[in-house]
Amino acid sequence: MPSITDPYWKSLGELATVNPAPTDEFPPSADTQTVDPLSRRNFFRLMGASMALAGVAGPGCQRYEREEIVPLSRRPEDQVPGTTLQYASTFELAGVAHPVLVGSYEGRPIKIDGNPFHPFTGDGADAKVTDHRHGGSTAFVQASVLNLYDQDRSRGLSNRGKGADFNEFKAWLATNREAMKKDPSKVRVLSEALSSPTLAQLRRKFLTDFPGAKWAEWEPISFDNERAGLKLAFGKSARAFAHLDRAETIVVLDGDIFVEHPAAMRYSRDWKASRGPEASSLGDGKMNRLWSVESSWSSTGAMADHRLALRAELVLPFAQALDAKLSSGGAPSAEFLNEAKVAKFLTVLVEELGQNRGKAVVIAGRRQPPVVHALVARINEALGAPVDYYDDGDDRLTHKEAIVELANDIKAKAVSHLFVLGGNPAYDAPNDLDLASAIASVENSVHLSEWDDETSEKTTWHVPRANYLESWGDARTWDGTWTIAQPLILPLYGGISALELMALVMGDEQTSEKLVRGAVEGSGATWRKAVHDGFVASTAFPTLGAKVGQLPVVTLTASQQAGSRGTSAKPVPLEVVFQYSSNTWDGRFANNAWLQETPDFFTKVCWDNYAIVAPATATEYGLETDSLITVELEGRKLELACYVMPGQAIGTIGLVLGGGRVKAGSKGGDGKTPVGFDTYKLRTSAALDLASGAKVTAGSSYQLSGTQEHWDIRGGLDKDIGDKGIAERLPRLVKEVDQTEYRDGTEGRAWDANEESEFWTDPDRGTSLFQEHTYEGHKWGMAIDLGSCTSCNACMVACQSENNIPVVGKAEVVRNREMHWIRIDRYFKGSPDDPQIVNQPVGCQQCENAPCEQVCPVGATLHSSEGLNDMVYNRCVGTRYCLNNCPYRVRRFNFLDWNAEFKEARNRVRKLVMNPEVTVRMRGVMEKCTYCVQRIQNKKIKAKNEKRSVQDGEITTACQDACPTQAIVFGDLNDPKAWVTKFHKDRRAYSLLGELNTKPRTQYLARVRNPNPKLA
Amino acid sequence: MPKAWFIALGVALVLASIGAYCIYHVVMTGIGAWGNNNSVGWAWDITNFVWWIGIGHAGTLISAILYLMRQQWRTSINRAAEAMTIFAVMCAGIFPIIHTGRPWLAWWMIPHPNDMQMWPQFRSPLMWDVFAISTYATTSILFWYMGLVPDLATFRDRSKTKLKQAIYGVLALGWRGSARQWHRYERAYLILAALSTPLVLSVHSVVSFDFATSLNPGWHTTIFPPYFVAGAIFSGFAMVMTLMIPARYLFGLKHIIKAEHIEAMCKVTLATGMMVGFAYSVEFFIAWYSGSEYEQFTFINRSTGPFWWSWLSMVTCNVIVPQFFWFKKCRTNPWIIIVLCLLINVGMWFERFVIIATSLSRQFLPSSWSYYWPTKYDVGVFIGTMGLFLTLFLLFIRFLPAVAISEVKNTLPEAHAGKDH
Repeated sequence: MPSITDPYWKSLGELATVNPAPTDEFPPSADTQTVDPLSRRNFFRLMGASMALAGVAGPGCQRYEREEIVPLSRRPEDQVPGTTLQYASTFELAGVAHPVLVGSYEGRPIKIDGNPFHPFTGDGADAKVTDHRHGGSTAFVQASVLNLYDQDRSRGLSNRGKGADFNEFKAWLATNREAMKKDPSKVRVLSEALSSPTLAQLRRKFLTDFPGAKWAEWEPISFDNERAGLKLAFGKSARAFAHLDRAETIVVLDGDIFVEHPAAMRYSRDWKASRGPEASSLGDGKMNRLWSVESSWSSTGAMADHRLALRAELVLPFAQALDAKLSSGGAPSAEFLNEAKVAKFLTVLVEELGQNRGKAVVIAGRRQPPVVHALVARINEALGAPVDYYDDGDDRLTHKEAIVELANDIKAKAVSHLFVLGGNPAYDAPNDLDLASAIASVENSVHLSEWDDETSEKTTWHVPRANYLESWGDARTWDGTWTIAQPLILPLYGGISALELMALVMGDEQTSEKLVRGAVEGSGATWRKAVHDGFVASTAFPTLGAKVGQLPVVTLTASQQAGSRGTSAKPVPLEVVFQYSSNTWDGRFANNAWLQETPDFFTKVCWDNYAIVAPATATEYGLETDSLITVELEGRKLELACYVMPGQAIGTIGLVLGGGRVKAGSKGGDGKTPVGFDTYKLRTSAALDLASGAKVTAGSSYQLSGTQEHWDIRGGLDKDIGDKGIAERLPRLVKEVDQTEYRDGTEGRAWDANEESEFWTDPDRGTSLFQEHTYEGHKWGMAIDLGSCTSCNACMVACQSENNIPVVGKAEVVRNREMHWIRIDRYFKGSPDDPQIVNQPVGCQQCENAPCEQVCPVGATLHSSEGLNDMVYNRCVGTRYCLNNCPYRVRRFNFLDWNAEFKEARNRVRKLVMNPEVTVRMRGVMEKCTYCVQRIQNKKIKAKNEKRSVQDGEITTACQDACPTQAIVFGDLNDPKAWVTKFHKDRRAYSLLGELNTKPRTQYLARVRNPNPKLA
Repeated sequence: MPKAWFIALGVALVLASIGAYCIYHVVMTGIGAWGNNNSVGWAWDITNFVWWIGIGHAGTLISAILYLMRQQWRTSINRAAEAMTIFAVMCAGIFPIIHTGRPWLAWWMIPHPNDMQMWPQFRSPLMWDVFAISTYATTSILFWYMGLVPDLATFRDRSKTKLKQAIYGVLALGWRGSARQWHRYERAYLILAALSTPLVLSVHSVVSFDFATSLNPGWHTTIFPPYFVAGAIFSGFAMVMTLMIPARYLFGLKHIIKAEHIEAMCKVTLATGMMVGFAYSVEFFIAWYSGSEYEQFTFINRSTGPFWWSWLSMVTCNVIVPQFFWFKKCRTNPWIIIVLCLLINVGMWFERFVIIATSLSRQFLPSSWSYYWPTKYDVGVFIGTMGLFLTLFLLFIRFLPAVAISEVKNTLPEAHAGKDH
């Protein structure tokens, strides 16, 4: 037996008996080893107990509320404290499902990502880690988790502005149900666009229970023009879906396929598949060619190989011209079609489409009138385009028709009861309908909403709605796949879902779980599998096989026949187009601070909305960026901020929707501090998407907050010095090559992104004064493909969500103190009238030879053994020298206490969204991208526990997960088979500012453009 | 005299209080109270720091180098110049501490044994700064105090009140003026002068390394050490004259600080001003010669970009203004000298602003280009350090011998039995 008196031994054999190795890591005697009755441990035990008792008995002690802590007697399945679990769910935006995986940390949903197993938006049910499976998401999806914890969400029911409880509401419903039954034709439901099959069932039941009642759907940013257009073409409503992975030529008419389109996730994925410059879904060495004709910049225009900026109203004659050349329509007569540039564009496009029959497709945007969609269907038919038309079997009115009908019914006093399911029609309905007052005039009305907002103010009842993460639900993706939403948390404020409310209205109190489950099981699917996967397999809509019929003849207006470029004697007619906001979509995300602070894709402005005009229009009318202008449309006037955007179609005033809310909350406008301008004031039912005949006048100055142009173009004595400097250095920063040159090389040499710089031919390059690092184990690296980045901002919000990045507010953004760890730089190329846009996501480059590490006096930023630039927040004293010495300017300093608002009790709920694995930084310390080091460690620990090495594709950064086109790839550079290693060896790979010898770990892949040689 | 002194002290204290409040505000709210941003990490804070450090240089130069070179005229001004050095270094020293995001942890930059596994990172020029400046401050204080000892003894001997006698008595360290003490004193003074001499060159060289060792265009320049030293002496002499010319009148020191001394200082200012001007032109030449587009852009942007006015102020004040010292009239008319010296001090402040803020505002990636504008707290802290400087200086001339009595005695004609020295 081990004994203190016998510590000596003679042989190993004796030792084994004298001092046997403990078999138990924590032997039971470990804490009672000493014989002294008053051991250190016992002493503390006694002291602790007596102190605690003294505390209990003490007369001055604060009396806490009596609480009972009950441990979980059985651990919930798979629940391990401290780990994040992912559950499949669904986020619905504008009537389209976004299948997601929700990361939940001990019962708190904290991170949303695309569901990689979804058959439509993901890789499919058998997606593998080693294939770098990914779901893809948008900035809105990423930010949706913050809505759950919005401190300004409605916290209870109210009846005519006074607080009420749920039983009162139920009693009210019970009495009113009789009245409604008596005259059911006066009952109306106004819902958001809905794709929920369960709600559709309830709707059918409701319409049977209340014969003559009507159910209207309204969505301010709607794809119903296509619906109406395809009805024109096929005689039946349908949804178009193009197979971009099979398309060599993709033509987009005034639309955006990467963010705005309901099938954007799938389009991004398919476009990427046929885009690879070496191998693509089209075959080796083939890549698609993207053409865009648009009025305002979209991601599609920025990614396009050829972009033609045209006023939105001119797209109709343009489509007619295409139709005339490729199909059976008559040729339009419009002046702009004869302009040299347009004519050449059209000729080459028609020629290419003709050559690529069966492999070419045309897509029209949501702003275009139905007839354009019908024409596009006819063109696609003539081209044999790979397009499917889904028949959703729904014969509803279009959103516009429905809202107009509802407004007229209310005005005709034909509505006694109105149930508004979600949405905010008092704010976003066409202005001419004056729906706010109309709703207020309805005798009995209910608004189900997450916020007590502009509409709730007008209805008699406001009922808090459960967030999608708080309630069961379902929805359909664009192709119709039935996608299930499961809750991850009980409603924080006791809200109910639309399903529950409708069931209640019909007198049948049900939980949404029962309703959804009933619908799913009723269809013959297995509930548990559907919930686990997040979707019900093989539930896509059937496709429509119809032929395009006779299309109505359209006569062009005078302005549609005008030119696209004016002269001083004859300026182009002004038109207004309404576009969604990258910050608030249609205004619904106004109180979402992450989105508000995410800079717009191209203007890089945040915390505002504005009118976008072309430089030529600005000169014509004396408009300037950072000024107020007045836009007048059919007698309605609105003063709002102006942004002059190179590449905007001349004559088009792009009005961004979603600003100027007065009851959004403390972040998005509460009536006291406005955020943006209410552009809905100019939007009428006659001109929902675009309208001609606008007038504009210049006004006083106004400060917009941009994350990129912090006065950067400002000149001094030399007005153009900034522009000149940018033009000079840009070719080195953002590398691009045309496909022919990329494929064939120049002067017999293969093209290489690095060859342009003299630095790379210097034999002494890469020598360092410091000892080089060596890496035995992992060597993390990243590759970012500039050819695939559509600048959709998903990575920025994903990073914000993952890494607890604070929001600083408009005034601080103006001061250039935004905190994003990854940003997307936007540069223009070419003339201001017709520029190209290039994007470059920039996070910390994790330099091998990091300038920041060398200058930190306290060693707060260090090189890890795996090649990361680690930031030690605790050690940072905040000299900001690292920031000054970072050539990429990716370091972010906590100039103020950005988390100060959480000290206020009301805002504390927002803390629940924080990722517990990432430190929340205090003021005065520096921070930056870490390559999501917490994710790296988690996966490394997991692999170690499973006694295996980390697989390629297993560790993903948050930005990478979010990217719908997989433009960001992360991995181990010591693994020769890793994707990232292959990308780093690609001849497109280059280091940003590599000539500084910083040896960045992030490499960029040059963008390959694929212009038609005839237009080059 | 005391009335004017009290008024001046009052003004200085008000300014210092403004500064104290502003520093309090910055420490409590964060660096965000200033105008610094994610591109311009340093602005007024480090500009002021370098400016004050530069101001201090004349003191060391006058007391050490001129002493070693036996420039006897220095004795009339060296005491005040040394005091000025110490006060300027004190003002400068405020900035490296308060410019940090967490100033309460700034002591982590000092190497000390601890249980946090903390050790400074010696590759950082900021660490070199810590040592350079603390050495400079220590040596300057020792040198100044050393020189004060005989004079403090004189004060002790002439004081009428017990309190004064006690205070000056302690400060005089038992000086009796014996030949042996004088002998030791002279030796020690010589040694300290020799020790201080390299500091004149090293301190500002090290400060310039903060910029020179970075990779920012506009900072990454090998010319910085000599250029900064010349600039420091330039601004230091201008500051000495700014202070000494009024003091000469107010305290009736005209017979000690003679016009010819002032004139000599004007000449030094002219010479160092020319060096600074030369450095400006060499910077431009090297930018062109380097062939680096970033470097070239930085310099063109400096002179014609959004901050052109600061560059123009710098060139006007530092290159054109000192040229007036070619004229005897300008070197002898106190009013002209004061105006020119004030302009030089403004110019030298702009020089540091141009180097720091203008370069940082437009670095490599155009997406991160920015502008900088100060807040009232930037201005307040700067004004506050001026107030502190003036307060200390006013207290100094009131309570300590502003002119080195013993040394002046040594150089008076009487000390040389009728022979000129």
